[in-house]
Amino acid sequence: MTDPTARGASPELIGKVTHYLHQGFSALAHGRRELPPALGDARWTPELILATWYMAETGQVPTGGLEYRVGRSGGGFDRLDFELLPEPAANTSAMAAEDTSIALNRRGSGAEITIPVPFYGGGMSYGSVSEQVMLARAIAAARWSTYMCTGEGGYPEALVPYKDNIITQVATGLFGVEERTIQYAPIVEFKYAQGAKPGLGGHLLGDKSTTAVAKMRGSVPWVSLFSPFPFHSVYSVEDHKKHVDWIKTINPRALISVKVSTPADVDMVAVGSYYAGAHILHLDGAYGGTGAAPEIAKKNIAMPIELAVPKVHKHLVKEGIRDRVTLMASGGIRTAWDIAKIIALGADGAVLATTELVALGCTRCSNCERGRGCTFGLTTTDPELKEWLQPEWGAARLDNLFRAIQGELRAILRRLGLRSVRDLRGRTDLLRYRPAETGEVA
Amino acid sequence: MPPRTNLPAKLERARRRLWQDAGDLRLDTSPAAEGGCGVVGLACDVPVAGRHLMHALAQMRNRGNGKGGGVAMVGLDAAQLGTTPRVLREDYLLGIAYLDAGVRAEVERRFLEPVFEIDDARELAPAVSGHAALGLEVRPPDVVLYWARPRAAAIERFLAGGDLAEGDFPDRRALEDELVYQSSFRLNRELYAGERGNLAYVQCHAKDLLVLKMVGYAEDVVRFYGLEDMTAHVWIGHHRYPTKGKVWHPGGAHPFVGLNEALVHNGDFANYQSICDYLAQRQIRPLFMTDTEVAALVFDLHRRTYGYPLEYVIESLAPTTERDFAVLPAAKQEVYRALQTTHIHGSPDGPWFFIIAESGRDAWRLIGVTDTSMLRPQVFAVQRGAANIAFCASEKQVIDAVLESLAAADPRFWGRPDRYWVARGGSHTDGGAFVFTLRQRPEGGRELVVTDKFGAAVASPTGGDTATLAFPNGGSGFAWRSGGRRSRDCRHSPQVANGSGSKKPAAAGLPKSMARRSATPEAYDRSTLRASDRSDAPGPFPARSATQETGPFPPLTQVLAALRRWSWQQASSFLDELALEARVPGREVAVLELLTLLLDRRYDPGRLRRSRWLSRLDACLAGVLADLERRPTPAFQVHAGPAGGAAGQPRPDAADQTIVLDARRYAIEGEGSAANELVALYRHGWRRFLVANTRGHRFLGCGFGPATEGVRIDVYGSFGDYLASGGDGIELHAHGDAQDQVAQIWKSGLLVVHGDVGQAFGYGAKGGEAYVLGSAAGRPMINAVGSPRVVINGTCLDYLAESFMAGDPLKGGGFVILNGVGFDSRGRLRELDNPYPGSNLFSLASGGALYIRDPFGRLEASQLNGGEFAELGKADWDLIRPYLEKNEAWFGIPVSALLAVDGVECRPAEVYRKVRPVKLRALQAEEAWVGHRG
Repeated sequence: MTDPTARGASPELIGKVTHYLHQGFSALAHGRRELPPALGDARWTPELILATWYMAETGQVPTGGLEYRVGRSGGGFDRLDFELLPEPAANTSAMAAEDTSIALNRRGSGAEITIPVPFYGGGMSYGSVSEQVMLARAIAAARWSTYMCTGEGGYPEALVPYKDNIITQVATGLFGVEERTIQYAPIVEFKYAQGAKPGLGGHLLGDKSTTAVAKMRGSVPWVSLFSPFPFHSVYSVEDHKKHVDWIKTINPRALISVKVSTPADVDMVAVGSYYAGAHILHLDGAYGGTGAAPEIAKKNIAMPIELAVPKVHKHLVKEGIRDRVTLMASGGIRTAWDIAKIIALGADGAVLATTELVALGCTRCSNCERGRGCTFGLTTTDPELKEWLQPEWGAARLDNLFRAIQGELRAILRRLGLRSVRDLRGRTDLLRYRPAETGEVA
Repeated sequence: MPPRTNLPAKLERARRRLWQDAGDLRLDTSPAAEGGCGVVGLACDVPVAGRHLMHALAQMRNRGNGKGGGVAMVGLDAAQLGTTPRVLREDYLLGIAYLDAGVRAEVERRFLEPVFEIDDARELAPAVSGHAALGLEVRPPDVVLYWARPRAAAIERFLAGGDLAEGDFPDRRALEDELVYQSSFRLNRELYAGERGNLAYVQCHAKDLLVLKMVGYAEDVVRFYGLEDMTAHVWIGHHRYPTKGKVWHPGGAHPFVGLNEALVHNGDFANYQSICDYLAQRQIRPLFMTDTEVAALVFDLHRRTYGYPLEYVIESLAPTTERDFAVLPAAKQEVYRALQTTHIHGSPDGPWFFIIAESGRDAWRLIGVTDTSMLRPQVFAVQRGAANIAFCASEKQVIDAVLESLAAADPRFWGRPDRYWVARGGSHTDGGAFVFTLRQRPEGGRELVVTDKFGAAVASPTGGDTATLAFPNGGSGFAWRSGGRRSRDCRHSPQVANGSGSKKPAAAGLPKSMARRSATPEAYDRSTLRASDRSDAPGPFPARSATQETGPFPPLTQVLAALRRWSWQQASSFLDELALEARVPGREVAVLELLTLLLDRRYDPGRLRRSRWLSRLDACLAGVLADLERRPTPAFQVHAGPAGGAAGQPRPDAADQTIVLDARRYAIEGEGSAANELVALYRHGWRRFLVANTRGHRFLGCGFGPATEGVRIDVYGSFGDYLASGGDGIELHAHGDAQDQVAQIWKSGLLVVHGDVGQAFGYGAKGGEAYVLGSAAGRPMINAVGSPRVVINGTCLDYLAESFMAGDPLKGGGFVILNGVGFDSRGRLRELDNPYPGSNLFSLASGGALYIRDPFGRLEASQLNGGEFAELGKADWDLIRPYLEKNEAWFGIPVSALLAVDGVECRPAEVYRKVRPVKLRALQAEEAWVGHRG
C-alpha cells in the first residue's frame, strides 16, 4: 500500500456519512426525552455526552434541563458542589466579565505565557487519533490562544502552521521526538506516566499502527507499538533534571511541563519536578484515558485527581513554592463545573482530552484500540474512517465548546462572588458535598 | 575464625533490649525521598589529600541539590588529626555531631565516660568563619572526634545482661564492636530520634574511619572542616539530591555507617518498607529515615553479625538472576539460592549504586556495587604506577578531575587511568561489583588489590614505563624528513614553510613496508597498521582548507613504528618537536590530525605505558591549541570565550575554518554552557567546531536543529552526558569515551566515538550512522525506529536493541552490527570471551536486525526474547559491508581482520549471525481489510 488516502472514501460517501452523523449529533443533543439506551456510563452519563454535543453546537450550556454539570458516578466531582450565592445577589451584569485567564509560567524568567481560559488540550498521539482530529484541536487551540498537545506519535506536517499553539510531548518511547519538533514547541511536555495506566507505558495496538502511522513513527506497519513505562535514561530526579536540561538546550525558549500520574508520593514528585525546572506540573488522575487504556488499569492504579490535587497543592504551599509553578490537572475532568471544582481543590487549571473527543462526536463506546473501531472517525487512522471528521467542522465544535465552558465558568465565578478564576484556586471552603441521588453508583 | 553459629541469634536477643528500654521516639515515619546523587570514591596506596576531590565534586554539583553532602575517609593521618599512630590504629574514632552544642557535656558524661576510656579528643573547628561564608543554608554540626577504648567495666556491664557472653564472640574485638554499636545506638535514639529532638548523633564509630556530613555539597564539607590538606587512603565524596521536606538535616546526608563501614548511595529503593521490616525482624531499626541508612544497616548485619564474606554480602544486596544465575556453577548456585531465599526482603529493589568504605581489620577497602538492572550510572577506573589508585564514581569526568588534580601536584600520577570500565550488577562475569583492597604489606606500606565480586583480580594494562620524571630534551631522533633528522633551524626555515603548502609531507619517502616489517606476526596487528596507512582513508580531522596539506603529519605509520622503540625521553622530545612543527604555517592541521589519530587509535606504545602516553598527548594537544590562540591560522580560530560577549562573537574567515572552543571557559550545562555556545556560533555562520578540554560538559552537539548537514564537531577531553542527543544532519567525532545518553533521538548524520558509550546509547534513535570503537553499557539502541545504522566493535552490557522497531534493514530499515572485539595493551585486536554476555538481546523487537560477529557460536537462543537467529545472506552482507569498511576507515579495524578467525579468513556467513524479529503476530484485522481493499 503506497498512499493510504488514495483508497479512502469517495467525496460522495464522505458527504453522505458526515451529513447523517452531524444530523444525528444535533438531533440527539436537542432531544432531552429520547436518551439513547446504550450511550455513556456513570461518569460520562448520556446527559453529559448530549450536553457536550449541545455546547459544541451552540456555544452555550443546555437550557432545557439536560444535566450538564455532573455525572452519576457517586463520587469525586459528582459529589462536590459549590456554595453559591443566591442568583439575584450575583447579578453583576454591568461589571466587566470575570477573568478566566491563567499564567503558565510563574517562575519569573523565560517566556510569559498566559492562556485566556484555564484549560488546554491534553496529549493524544497521531495514531491514537487521526490527523484530522489533531488538526481540529490545533485550529481551535489557536483561535482561543490556548494549546493542544501532540501526544507521542509524531508531529504531522499539517500541524506546523499551528505550532505556536501546540505542545509537543517527550514520552518514554520517544516516538516522533526530534530536534525539529522540540524547537517548534512553546511548551514541551515530559510524559512520565498517564493516569489511566500508570506504570504500564503506552500502547498502540497493531490494528491502529497503519502504514501511515508506522511511517510517521518510523516503525513497522501493523505491529503493536509500546512505549516503555519508564524513561530508559531517567531513574532519579537528578536524571530528570538532566533530561529537562537536555530539552532546554535544544529549545531554550520552551516552557517545561512535567506530566505525571498520581502515585501515593505524588507530592514529592511534584516538588522534585519543580526544582528540576518545571514550569507546569501536570497531574493526571485515574479517570482519563480512551478506551485503548486497559480496563484493569483505569481507575484501579492511580489516585483520583480530586485527591491528588489538594495533596500536591497543600504540599507546594508548605514548601513555599506554590506561586512559582502552575498546577494543571487532568484525568476525568469533563465539564466547566469539574474545572471549577479542581481549581477550588488547588489546581490552576485543567487539561481536557476526552471532553474534546466527546464534543467531536465520541460516544464513549470504548472501542478505541481497534483500527476500525471508531465509527465516528476519531480514534482511528483508517484511510476511510478518518474522513468522517473534517478539521474545520471539528474546530468549530471545539470553539463552541470552549465558549460554553468559559461562559459557565464566569457564571460560577459570579455566583461565588469572585472576579477571577485565579481567586478560586485552593478555595475548598467554597465546596460542599452534594447528597447522593437515587440511582447513582454508590 | 571459630564458628559462631549462635551469635546472630544471641545478638538479636540482646539488641531487642535497645528497643524495649526506649522511650517514645519522635520519628517522622515517612522516609526522606532520595533522588539521584553524585558520588566519587577512591582507594590509593599513598595518602591522598582532600583538595584533590574539590574540583571533581564541584564539577558534579549537577548531581546534587545542595541539601546534603558528605565525605568518608579511611586510612587517616594521625599527626594531621593531632593524635598518635597507635591511638589512631587501636582506638575507636567516635565522631559526634553536635547540633546543639549544649548537650556536649551531657553526652560526654552519660554516653562516653561510663563506657569508654578516652585517649584523645579533638574539636574539628570550622576552617571558615561562619557557614554563611560558604553559602550554606543550615549551620553544619560542631564535630568532636573522640578516640576511645571500651572500659573493662563497661564490657562487664554489657555482658551482665546475660544475653551475651564473651565466648559467644569470635574474639574480643568483635565483642567491643558490638558494644560500640549499641552504645552509639542508645545515644542516637535518645538525642537524635527521641522526644528531645535532634540534638546530637554519632557520625562514625569505627577505627580509622571518619565521616563528616552537612546540608550542602560535599566540597563544602571539605572546605568547612578544612580537609584540603588532610589525607586518607580511601575517600568517598557524596552529593545528595533529596526531594522531600523543606528542612534538610545533616543527619540525613550520606555517608551512613554500620560500624566498620561508611556507605553512600545513588538511587532509591522501591522496597524501603520491606527492608525496614526485614531489619526489624532482626532487631535493627533505622533512626535517620532514609533508604541509604537501611542499606548501611543491612551491610553491617551481613558483614559483622552474620560474618559473610564480601561476595555473599554483595550477592544478597544485588542478587544474580535470570540467565546469569543459570550459567553459574552448581555449587555457587546453591549458596546464592540460599542467600536469596533468606535475604531477598533485605535486598534493595530499584535503581541504586553503593560505594562503601570499609575500615576492616585486615585491610582498608572501597567497594562499588551496582544494582542488578544497572539503572544508575557508575564508572570504575584504575591507574597503576609508582602510586596505585582505583576509583568508582557516578561519572568518568569526576575520576578524570581527581586524576588531573593529583597529576598536577604529584609526579606519581598522570591524567588518565589505565582502564575505565562499567558493570552490570548480578552479572555472571564479574558480579557488577568491585572491591579495591588496600592490604598491609609485610615490609610496610599498602598494596592495592582490585578484584571483582568473585574475588578474581581485575586486570589493567600495567606494561610500559610510567615515567615519573621530567626529561631533558635530547631530541627524539625521529626522521622528520625521509632524508633524516631535521635540525630545529631547518624546521623554521622559509623553504619548509613554503614547501609545505604544495607537497604531500614526506609521503614519497615514507617506507610503507616499515609497518609490515616491524609488525608482530599477528594477522590483526599487521592489517591494523596497514589500514592506518590506506591512502583513501579519510583523515580523522578533515578541517583543512585548500592550502593545507592532506593527511596527518608525520604519517601515523612512521610515528607508530618509531614509537615502539622510543624511550620516554625520545617520545617526550618528539611531542615537543611536534608542537613546534605545528607552528609551521599550514602545518597545524596535519599535526592535529596526527595527534588525533594518536589519541584515537589503539596501537603498540612500545616501552611506554599507554595511559601515560595519552596524558602526554593531551598536554601536547592543549599546547598546540594554545599556540593557535596566539597565532590564528586560515584553518583555525580559537574562541576567546564568553568574555568576548555576544558582540564579540567571531565569524569565520572562510566556510571551512574551524573554531576552537576551550570548554573550560564555559559552564557544563545551561546558560553560558559550551553546548549553547556551539549553537550560537553555528547561527553566526560557523560549521566546523573543535571542542577541547571538556570536563563533563553535557549536551554537546544538541540543539543545532534540522538540516544541519555540513556541520562537523570534534570533541576532545572528558565530555559529559547527552552527547549528540538530537543530531539531525551533523557529524560529530568524539575523541575518547562517551558517557550516558549519547545520540538519543539521533535522526541523521554521522557519529564516530573513539571509545565506549554509556547507558541508553541511541535511545529512540530515528536514523543516521554511528560507529563506536569500544563497547556500550546498558540498553543501547532501545526503542530505536526508522533507519539507524550502527557499528559497535566491542560488546554491550545488556538489553541491546530492546523494542527495536527499525523496519526491514534490507529495505532501508535500521540495524546494529556488534563485532565483539577488543584490543590488548599492544593494540592488537582480540576476540572478546563472548560477543554479548547479557541475558536480553533484541527483546520485544519488531523491526530491524542485529548482525553479530559470533564465529564460535557463543550466543544462545535463550538470550533472545522476540528475536531469532538467521543465516547471514548475501543481501545482508552486501548491506553491512560498506558500514564495516567505513568502520575500518574510522578505527583501523580491517574488514579482513573481522572475517579472520584464528588467523584464517572465513566467509561472512561463518562469522556473522543475523538476529531478526520473530514473525509472531497474526494478520491484523485492519491489515487484512486494507490488504483486501488494495
